Amino acid sequence: MKRIWQALTSGMGKFISIRVLQIILVLYLYMTLVFIILEAQPGDISDFYVGDPKITPEARDAIVQQLGLDKPILERYFDYLKNFMTGHLGCSFKFGNIRDTPDPICREQRPTWDLIKERLPRTVVLFLTYTIVSFYIGFFMGKLIAWRRGAIVEYFSTVVGVVLFTVFTPWFALLLVWLFAVNFGVVPIGGFINPDTWTNVQQIGATACGVGISCTNIVFNTMLLWLGGLTLFCGGAYLWSRRLTYPWQQQAVRWGALAIGFVVLGLFFGGGWPGVSTQAVIVRETKFWFFIWHFSMPAGVIPLFPLVFDFVQHMLLPILTLTLISFAGTMLLMRNTMLETMREDYVMAAKAKGLPDHVVRDKHAARNALLPVVTSLIFAIAFSVDGGVFTETIFSWQGMGQLLLQSALDHDYPVAIGSLVFTGVFALIAHLVADILYAYLDPRIRYD
Amino acid sequence: MQAAPTFEPAEALWRVRLHLLGRGLAGSWAMFAESKIGLTGFGIIVFFALFGLLWPIYPWLMEHVAWTQEELEAARTVPYGAISSIYQVYDPVNGYDPLIPGVENPTAPSRRHPLGTNQFGRDILAQLMASTGSEFMLGVLAALITVIIGTLVGAIAAYYGGIVDTFFMRLADVFILFPLISFLIVLGSMIELTLLKLAFILGIFFGFGQITVILKSQALAVKVKPYIEAARVAGGGHFHIIFRHIIPNLLPLSFLYMMFNVTSAIFSEAALSFFGLLPGVKISWGIMIESAHTLGYILGGRSFQNWWLWMPPGVAITLLCSAFYLVGRGLDEVVNPRLRKR
Amino acid sequence: MLQQTEKTYPVLQVEHLTMHYTTRKGAVKAVENVSFSLDKGEALGLVGESGCGKTSVALTLLRLLPENAQFLGGHVYFFRDGHDEAHGKRSLGKPVKLLLDGQEHRGRLLELNRSQIVLDTRVNGRMQQMRFGRDDTARLGVDLTALSDDEMRPIRWKGISMIFQAAMNSLNPVYKVGDQIIEALRTHMPISVPDAHERVAELFQLVGLDRQLIDRYPHEYSGGMKQRAVIAMALACDPDVIIADEPTTALDVIVQDKILREMRQIQKKLNMSMMYISHDIAVIAEVADKVGVMYGGGLVEFGPSETIFKQPLHPYTKALMSAFPSISGEKVKLAALPGEPPDLIKPPLGCRFHPRCPYATEICEREVPQFREHKPGQHAACWNPLS
Repeated sequence: MKRIWQALTSGMGKFISIRVLQIILVLYLYMTLVFIILEAQPGDISDFYVGDPKITPEARDAIVQQLGLDKPILERYFDYLKNFMTGHLGCSFKFGNIRDTPDPICREQRPTWDLIKERLPRTVVLFLTYTIVSFYIGFFMGKLIAWRRGAIVEYFSTVVGVVLFTVFTPWFALLLVWLFAVNFGVVPIGGFINPDTWTNVQQIGATACGVGISCTNIVFNTMLLWLGGLTLFCGGAYLWSRRLTYPWQQQAVRWGALAIGFVVLGLFFGGGWPGVSTQAVIVRETKFWFFIWHFSMPAGVIPLFPLVFDFVQHMLLPILTLTLISFAGTMLLMRNTMLETMREDYVMAAKAKGLPDHVVRDKHAARNALLPVVTSLIFAIAFSVDGGVFTETIFSWQGMGQLLLQSALDHDYPVAIGSLVFTGVFALIAHLVADILYAYLDPRIRYD
Repeated sequence: MQAAPTFEPAEALWRVRLHLLGRGLAGSWAMFAESKIGLTGFGIIVFFALFGLLWPIYPWLMEHVAWTQEELEAARTVPYGAISSIYQVYDPVNGYDPLIPGVENPTAPSRRHPLGTNQFGRDILAQLMASTGSEFMLGVLAALITVIIGTLVGAIAAYYGGIVDTFFMRLADVFILFPLISFLIVLGSMIELTLLKLAFILGIFFGFGQITVILKSQALAVKVKPYIEAARVAGGGHFHIIFRHIIPNLLPLSFLYMMFNVTSAIFSEAALSFFGLLPGVKISWGIMIESAHTLGYILGGRSFQNWWLWMPPGVAITLLCSAFYLVGRGLDEVVNPRLRKR
Repeated sequence: MLQQTEKTYPVLQVEHLTMHYTTRKGAVKAVENVSFSLDKGEALGLVGESGCGKTSVALTLLRLLPENAQFLGGHVYFFRDGHDEAHGKRSLGKPVKLLLDGQEHRGRLLELNRSQIVLDTRVNGRMQQMRFGRDDTARLGVDLTALSDDEMRPIRWKGISMIFQAAMNSLNPVYKVGDQIIEALRTHMPISVPDAHERVAELFQLVGLDRQLIDRYPHEYSGGMKQRAVIAMALACDPDVIIADEPTTALDVIVQDKILREMRQIQKKLNMSMMYISHDIAVIAEVADKVGVMYGGGLVEFGPSETIFKQPLHPYTKALMSAFPSISGEKVKLAALPGEPPDLIKPPLGCRFHPRCPYATEICEREVPQFREHKPGQHAACWNPLS
């Protein structure tokens, strides 16, 4: 107990615990703010149904009752907070129940929480992938542009950077859809899955799905878990390898972890569900990594790769769009801060130490230039989470953003407000992660 | 009896101040003019300003047009003309060109319609020009509110410190992390958002957010300067010090962030109107793209045959946003001395 | 070996170094025709007002100039033992200077084998190959200005290391101090990390830092500690020459004095060559054996410190000395030098010091004085040398 306390109150632990407490406070403020602003609007939600012939006054009263609009405002506020904590976010007006038994609370309607649970992982995948990819590309290009300054490169990168940075996202997304999906036809025009691929999928492993339980969600979430686990494993191995003495040891650990990762990935995607013989697994692993995925499966075993590939195919274009839009900002900023750090004395000192050019550039100049770039990313997180709304809608990627917009347009308020709150929660958590990452990158922060 | 000699300032104080301001501005302009990107941005802004201002006389430049329904009626009833050659063409929202048979719309750019017409026979250039003014208005208004709030709150938080500071900084945390566009989407489905309301909401949300944090740290640096201490010793009140000494020193930086906020505001408006969440707005660049999209002119496979439907508004949004961004970058070199070339 | 420690030899010879910075307003003539030499185990002080080009000289030596710098001429000979194979290898085909039996030979190094050194030299205007025996006393100096960046890299830190102005900023804030020194060590010598760590501990002991500080970040150090760490870093690879650019300017006077004395001790102990750069003549007087006085981008006086401080030849040196209170506490009127340091974009014609010089005559305004030996060992660039 004492140990835990100590870990939480010193150095990095202290930083993280303070940040977590702050984030909880901010979350509370955020929820209150959303409540107040939505409450401050004239009239209430049910007004929208006045002119709707399909909704009788009785039905309207029912809606009012369901949403608790007849209660006093303070009670509603506490209900709102309580419901959020317990995951009772009301029932959707538009989405029907998909389970084979009626929902205990929502009956024939779908609970909001159920929808968010389904959509949030999809958004997270999109967000994480493009954030990492675009950040890396922006960082890398900004670094190079600053390091070897040339009039043409500089001019070109500034023009491209500024255009991509300020381009009107939905318009640009449409252009890319037209180019890659309509014109070249290399990727699907939009959507989350291709229904044809999934028509015969009725069982994933031991779980029967298709009715009541969505096979898509099972496969998607499992894929997410595996990929996340592998990323954590490789990242952990990387961090651990930095403690090793010799570069060859470090390299061995890193490449080893990557190799294990790939084998496991192959086992999962290529091998179907666990429960087939070792020999078959090896054969499939081989086939998988040699890109032969149209292989026959024993009866009853669903090949997962085509299913997973279906997601990936649908993800490519949104990720490309988001990456193109967001890498430019990182690139421009990285270039600027890099130009500044290159003038610092420690970079000169690193050069004087006789370090090879790329070491001076990567280890000294870029490493320090990275810090303000990460800070600005932290500032921009809410905006990029927001930006997902456009992209998801244009590509009909059925994530949180698309859910939010659709439910707002349909006046499906429980869902709209629920997804708004969870978009905020998502931004908060991303912010926390980025903050901790920053503290990891900058030793000075941890001791303040 | 002789009158006591009074001190007669050679010039009124305001004139001296004006003169100093003028000199300062001229110096800043000279520095700003050194940065090419800043000038480029400024040029684009001037272009769009002219573009917007020219809108009222645009129909005059073209032949055979009327401005309003009354003019149209009046023109049609000319006593001696068999058929009047004046038609209602250039009203951006409901005008159309009856000379073009409906099935031929959208028509390609021509002398009569330099950027062609859309599917209802409405002139694209007229729509584009008509929207410019409101885009500007919204962007500048929102940014102005942002900057006023940000500067005030930043200066006050830095000056008083303590609980005031903590409160505003936590509040800034909330606003920084606020998914504003998502929120506006939900809000837009509940109430009718007008441009003015939108500008205020955007201004307030940006104002309490990042800009407060940045201006506060700048104000902190100003606060410890000797002249602030001197002003305090000389008996200057809190109000006097904040408004006379701290805020003037924040203004250059505020102005810089104002540019970036114009970009965000224009972008948000375009996005919301693209998704049809601004029913109060009848025509805007976002709506132009949206209508081209919903009628299948972008993804319909024949996009480039109908490029004039979606290209101009998209380019206009991008250009105007990047113009303010470029001006901001150019100002950055003036305001932040560390970026100046040596 | 015995002979070498007794008889001193040069490690660095700078000849007619000229370097300008291109700026929008015109070329800043920052270094103009600077020549001096530095011997083994000797401490050289370079002194002058700020902006007179001292640091630019150091940066030119190490070839660390910014992009807008234009190297316009001169030679920097960096000497090592004639037996040093790595040094010989990188000197092949380069302009070199060979010191042998008290004589110096210049030329391009053509060949270097076990017993011979072959130079391509110019004798009476004709190119000619000359062969020299490769014996113990031979010192081979390569012209650093002729090396490529890749060839220069091994010389940096291992041959010439540097203590930068404002030591606080020359430590990278995101790495542990020990790791930054280990990085320098492992770049230049095959040494394992634990061994390097041990070496850092030794260095820390030498400069008077606690061993525990090795694994701390720069922001956890005080100003004096950072300064010591930077000195330890400069010492890491046992360099032939250390250039200390304003090593103590940022520190308070007491710490400054202490660190200077320790640096002097270390220098004597390790028999190293050091080049101190400072605007503070008191600092130079405390540490240097030889002094070079710079004014307006050029060296105006150069010689042993005793003679320079006792009997300066150049009026500027004299003015500089009287601008600082004497350490021994004599009551001397502080004569601040009238006038401004010269504008290096448009320096005055003739002697750059003449507008401020009380002894200036007509020739000073017209012609640049030669930098030559006026008294044994004491060089000056002046038409009317004092005494």
